[in-house]
Amino acid sequence: MVISRGKLKMSVTTFSASLAIAARLALAALVLAAASLTAQAADSPLSKQDKECLECHATKGLEKKLANGEMLSLHVDGSGFAKSVHSMIGCAVCHREIAVDDHPPLKKKISSLRDNSIELTKVCFTCHSGVFKLYKNSIHATLVREGDSAAPLCTDCHSPHTVMAKAAYDAKTGAPCSNCHFGIQKAYAASVHGQASLGCSSCHNAHDVSATTAEDKLKNACFGCHSDVLQAHQTWLPNAERHFEAVSCPACHVPGAKRKVDLRLFSNEKQQRISEQAGVPQFVGRARSADGKEKGLSAVELQDLLREFNPAGTDQSKTTLRGRLEVSTGVEAHQLTEKSQAIRDCATCHQQGAAPFQSVTVSIIGPDGRPLRHEANKEVLNSPLSVEAVGGFYVIGGTRIKLLDILLVLALLGGVSVPIGHLTLTWLFKRNAKRIGGEEDS
Amino acid sequence: MQRLYVHPLPVRIWHWINALGFVTMIVTGIQIRYIGLLDLFSFRTAVILHNWIGFVLIANFFVWLLFYMFSDKIRVYHPELSPIKHFRASFRQMMFYGYGIFRGQPNPHHVSVYHKFNSMQSMTYQIIMLLLVPLQFYTGVLLWDVKRFTGMIDMLGGVRVVDTAHVLIFIFFAGFIFIHPYLATLGHTRLAHFKAMFTGYEEIEDETTGH
Repeated sequence: MVISRGKLKMSVTTFSASLAIAARLALAALVLAAASLTAQAADSPLSKQDKECLECHATKGLEKKLANGEMLSLHVDGSGFAKSVHSMIGCAVCHREIAVDDHPPLKKKISSLRDNSIELTKVCFTCHSGVFKLYKNSIHATLVREGDSAAPLCTDCHSPHTVMAKAAYDAKTGAPCSNCHFGIQKAYAASVHGQASLGCSSCHNAHDVSATTAEDKLKNACFGCHSDVLQAHQTWLPNAERHFEAVSCPACHVPGAKRKVDLRLFSNEKQQRISEQAGVPQFVGRARSADGKEKGLSAVELQDLLREFNPAGTDQSKTTLRGRLEVSTGVEAHQLTEKSQAIRDCATCHQQGAAPFQSVTVSIIGPDGRPLRHEANKEVLNSPLSVEAVGGFYVIGGTRIKLLDILLVLALLGGVSVPIGHLTLTWLFKRNAKRIGGEEDS
Repeated sequence: MQRLYVHPLPVRIWHWINALGFVTMIVTGIQIRYIGLLDLFSFRTAVILHNWIGFVLIANFFVWLLFYMFSDKIRVYHPELSPIKHFRASFRQMMFYGYGIFRGQPNPHHVSVYHKFNSMQSMTYQIIMLLLVPLQFYTGVLLWDVKRFTGMIDMLGGVRVVDTAHVLIFIFFAGFIFIHPYLATLGHTRLAHFKAMFTGYEEIEDETTGH
């Protein structure tokens, strides 16, 4: 470590040092404005300033102990940085709070690796404002704000010192997504999309990743490539559009999945799913209190829960339930197969006791955008109360109301027994009439 | 025996298309709803047949409607407005079918060109043709393309309400499809009314006694 440099710089006025940094910042901004976004980073020579930083920071094993005991690596691979797209902006643009004449040591205390990353990634958005607009409402950003230490920041996916244009994703390993979503990556790699080397961002978007089952974004991603599927399905599937609405794509295109029904609280007024406001939690508490025996909501309990969202005196149809048939896990949702293997047998669902109807949940969109679910008894789909409570979800034959079956049997019995009874009486009367000389039947 | 022309050709055509159609609708309807219990044909075939025949029956309904609207025969469907008269006539008819017929007593109702239905028939047929059948067609069309008619379905309370109405009317017709042909055998011979629905002519017994 060179100590004398500090003494050397001391001889230059602080003002000039700041001016030098300011000038570099201005130059960097100009260069960035002029450069194209997909510029290949040539081995641009590093600036004198950057080389000075690297005199210390290129040292392997250079690290600093943080307040919580973690070790922060201070090593930067100089040649890697020179190759990266950030080489043209240099060190000082991102590490702006560091004054060259002023460190080491760093005056500011860093409490943890995570806090350091959170602080530093704030600077990314000063240049990458477009990405910030996409990222800030994503589920990843929401989790970061909630304090989730595993939620990805910019630096978790993009290594800042060796960053190349649009090169964060590795199709072979699924990195960086697979660093957290490893189970899904394993399932996906074997699927028809994984085999075609389609990246995660093809469907999930790289920066504005949203909670997958909360909206139609993912379904629309399917249609984005598979634009003519509706016509293709209409050649053989009755009520094809309705199926598209009520059944998720993986429910048929992942033949081995465990299917279930999710009943979503839906606002008829606003024609969209109901979201909870942050700080006004109602669903979890209400669902738990409605679920008396804690074995999942029964038909009556579900009706009570629904009524809580439609207070007395208001229009009872304001909040309803809209059902959707989906697969049970994220891993299953990624095991899409060739279309020849998709389910085409109507009896998979349109049959009493079909597997998808053995597992039912009620859900609302939580404040962070992810759905909150509560178990419901499967009877909620078949009970007579379902006509009111689950009025919007019905699978012909599969979720039929047993009471109506009983009425049908009675009607058929009546229909058959009335003629039989009447014929019997006719015969009896004839026999009697012959014996006592009464009038014959005409 | 007098021969009265009571069933004009359009009515006869309409009747037999309906008869065949109703039976097919009931059978395909059962296959659709009870796929686990019946295996006559595939679910998909049942749905396609059910849809096609449904539309044929809707067209057929308009044959019936237009004929009667533009004919004086509409009088056979005029309801008996006096409740006392209607109740008396219905009671008498029920007593005949429940007792009198076994004793060989004459039918209290006398068929005529403008009064071919007995009072029980006339009430039932009015309810069927003017309420149940249109409602069944209406709910059936909504279910044929749920997405297209989402607005209307939601206004009615959701797809389950529509389907329950459709199934309840189906249940009624499942019983009706046995009882109606049986009652048709209660003419002066077992086949008298069937013949009439083919030829158009009812054979009326001469009145030898006062009514």
